Amino acid sequence: MIRQSTGRRSLVVLFAVLCIIVCVGADVPTVNLASMDRVGPRPLEQQTQTSVIRDYLEAWGVMNAAFQRDEPALLDAYFIGAARRKLGATIHDQTGLNLQTSYKDKSHDIRIVFYSPEGLSIELVDDVEYQVELRDHGSSIGSQSVHAKYIAVLTPTETRWKVRIFQSGGST
Amino acid sequence: MRAGLTSLLTLMAIFISVRCATAEQPALQAPRTAVAGSKVVLGTSGSGKASLYIVGQGAAIRREIQLGEQVSLSSGDLYNAGRYLVFLVADGITRSAQFDLLPSQKTAAISFLAKPSRLPVNVDDGLSGVVYVFDAFGNLIVAPQQASFELSETNGAKQTRRAITSNGVAWVRMNSAPKAGPAALLASVGGVTEKRIVQQVAGDPCRLKMTARREGRNVILETDPVRDCAGNPVPDGTIVTFTEASGSREATVDVPVKRGVARTTLPNPPNAVISVAAGIVMGNEIRWSDAQ
Amino acid sequence: MKKGRLLALLLGLATIALIAIGTLWPNQSGSGVVDANAQLLTSASSPENAVNVILQRIARHDWESAYESLGNKSQFTETDFTRDLTGDYGSLRTYAMLDGYDIRPLHASSDEAEIRANLKWASVVGTFRDSRDLRVTRNGNRWQVSWPVVKEPKVPPQVIAVNYLRWDVIYRGPDDDWGTQDVEPPHVRIVAMRPISRDGGVIVMGEILNEDVVPAFVTVKAALLDKGGAVLASEDSFDKISHILLPKQVSPFRIDFPNVSFSQVDSVRMQPDSGLVAASADPVIAVEDQKLAPVPDASLSGNLVNQSGQVVNVVHVIGTFYDNKGQIIWVADEYPNRALLPETPERFLISLPADVSNRVTSYHVVTSTYSASRFQ
Repeated sequence: MIRQSTGRRSLVVLFAVLCIIVCVGADVPTVNLASMDRVGPRPLEQQTQTSVIRDYLEAWGVMNAAFQRDEPALLDAYFIGAARRKLGATIHDQTGLNLQTSYKDKSHDIRIVFYSPEGLSIELVDDVEYQVELRDHGSSIGSQSVHAKYIAVLTPTETRWKVRIFQSGGST
Repeated sequence: MRAGLTSLLTLMAIFISVRCATAEQPALQAPRTAVAGSKVVLGTSGSGKASLYIVGQGAAIRREIQLGEQVSLSSGDLYNAGRYLVFLVADGITRSAQFDLLPSQKTAAISFLAKPSRLPVNVDDGLSGVVYVFDAFGNLIVAPQQASFELSETNGAKQTRRAITSNGVAWVRMNSAPKAGPAALLASVGGVTEKRIVQQVAGDPCRLKMTARREGRNVILETDPVRDCAGNPVPDGTIVTFTEASGSREATVDVPVKRGVARTTLPNPPNAVISVAAGIVMGNEIRWSDAQ
Repeated sequence: MKKGRLLALLLGLATIALIAIGTLWPNQSGSGVVDANAQLLTSASSPENAVNVILQRIARHDWESAYESLGNKSQFTETDFTRDLTGDYGSLRTYAMLDGYDIRPLHASSDEAEIRANLKWASVVGTFRDSRDLRVTRNGNRWQVSWPVVKEPKVPPQVIAVNYLRWDVIYRGPDDDWGTQDVEPPHVRIVAMRPISRDGGVIVMGEILNEDVVPAFVTVKAALLDKGGAVLASEDSFDKISHILLPKQVSPFRIDFPNVSFSQVDSVRMQPDSGLVAASADPVIAVEDQKLAPVPDASLSGNLVNQSGQVVNVVHVIGTFYDNKGQIIWVADEYPNRALLPETPERFLISLPADVSNRVTSYHVVTSTYSASRFQ
């Protein structure tokens, strides 16, 4: 019964997240959520689960848009701290070289691994498949399919969870 | 014979074309992984000029190179950990590769969240400490690291906890001391230490007791020094409520503790029940009569 | 004639002599009088004189010569000595003058003495006293004072309770320094909550406690949820609450939902919120002579007495009413239309619905105040 309710809960979260993404018209990647029953040390409420996953996936979309359009200001909505600085600096370098990249996420396999005791950070591990396309002065250079493991740490702000650490940590 | 010669020439032409084609085609060799802070070397082969692109969420680099040379990237070029894609373009041919730049294993900085920064005494597991561990380039070190936490109290007592980081993070819970005062909470990983000051404050008032005495037409109400159950004086400014109920009439006043006691003056009623409280803690009651 | 001249001459000489004596040996007994001229001629020929010399130099803010004459100046700098006496961070000491002192020998020997100096400082807000036990030692033919310097600590980011019961807040800077030292928001807790149906709508009443040791600015929000968990309505307590709660203070709150029927409501989600705020424990307002009046003029009346010395321009009175089981049955408020003058009772009256009045067994009144002088 517990497993069923766990699976059911993950489905509810997944469904809610996908609905949100579809409703805002974004391309929908495939999202797999691992069971969140063992997340600790702080218990993770359903509302927080939904918010964190939703905001993390939105962050991917925003990152893609920022890199495609060479507009680092777009990152402000979903990134903060070191992640914002690093991504912003990369977009700045890219702009200087007249390059554009796009990072289209195709699938996510997300596992929340840590929710800090005071509730001020959540860490997740994401097995991501995405397509990267590179353009130089508008001409396509090439594209590659990437399958990498990402570690993200999100912290709560006034309006949403924002990504503070965003790092790919090797192959899956 | 003529047919044989033709065949031979054809074969030779094909062979030479293939050889030429393979001789000029660019090739790219990239390591599977590299460590932030170390040199990254990419190998190329072929002849002629080419454009080399290295892109990722941590960097965007373009270089014009000569095929056949090695391309060296120093820590100044590439230091953010992550997956990088390499594109080599020459004569309309593109070669690609990927590699991971991994964080260095040496801790250079930690983010230390100690919460709360103020809590009552004698709370089991009331304090939490969380550390995220970074290398010199701000990359999260995901390899396990030994973290230690130490809470030094005002009386010299220490609590120590150890933890191993997992995915770059470690956490502990600690108890607050029985004695009020500032305590230093230190977190150390790999020789890097951060300190936070935690204020341990008095708990709820305990054994709240007041006295009453007549002064002219008023009654002076004063508490004994207000302390918590561990004997810590509650801070000045803590509100103590005095209530005087006499028949159908009542008088109340919220008084802040000053120099450890709360004191107020209320009208001297003929017969009254006087009570005292602080927050949700009740103190003693005094049945006050006109004869007192 | 000759006798008259002789008398005049004698009187003149006596006057000059007395003036000279008074100048050379000014009166140092009892309370020390801060007299700039007296110091010029006083030497450190005895332990008391040595202490007098130091204190008079301190009174004239002549830190350098006071410091130079100390016997233990190698233990601290002149800056430490000056800061000990004048304070830092613009405290009362910074603007205070040494108005007087008295000294009392505690014990003495031929080479060493201990003297207690009670210093009286005059500041912009009155006098304050400072007591130092000074060790005085003989060095050749003069005595030297060893000053027990007190070093002022640095102030880390925190909430500070000032000794006249004010709190100020020092926040961390605007940069996003994640994880650095910060001050915790106040811990508040809802200790009672009760939704009722009234006049076709819903009213949520309750009490909130500041269980922290620092003042809190509190608000309470409530969301009414239906059976499916959807939010029917969400409202704030607005002004039916005392927003600034001092430590361990309790305030009632009341949130009205006039357009929601009680039958629709399945649950209520409460969201108390608190933030750090600079505050003062003054003024203290006594609520005296509280009395319930029965129908038809159902009300709670009483007198507000401003026990502080400042005029309170606006006072907000909130009453919580309980039934015989101790449950909250009503929360109501009133703003008296006169200012509260110090120690001058001012009447208040909180009206009650008749049906509520019949069930009230006990009540509690809280006040929150506004003084224009605090916002300069």
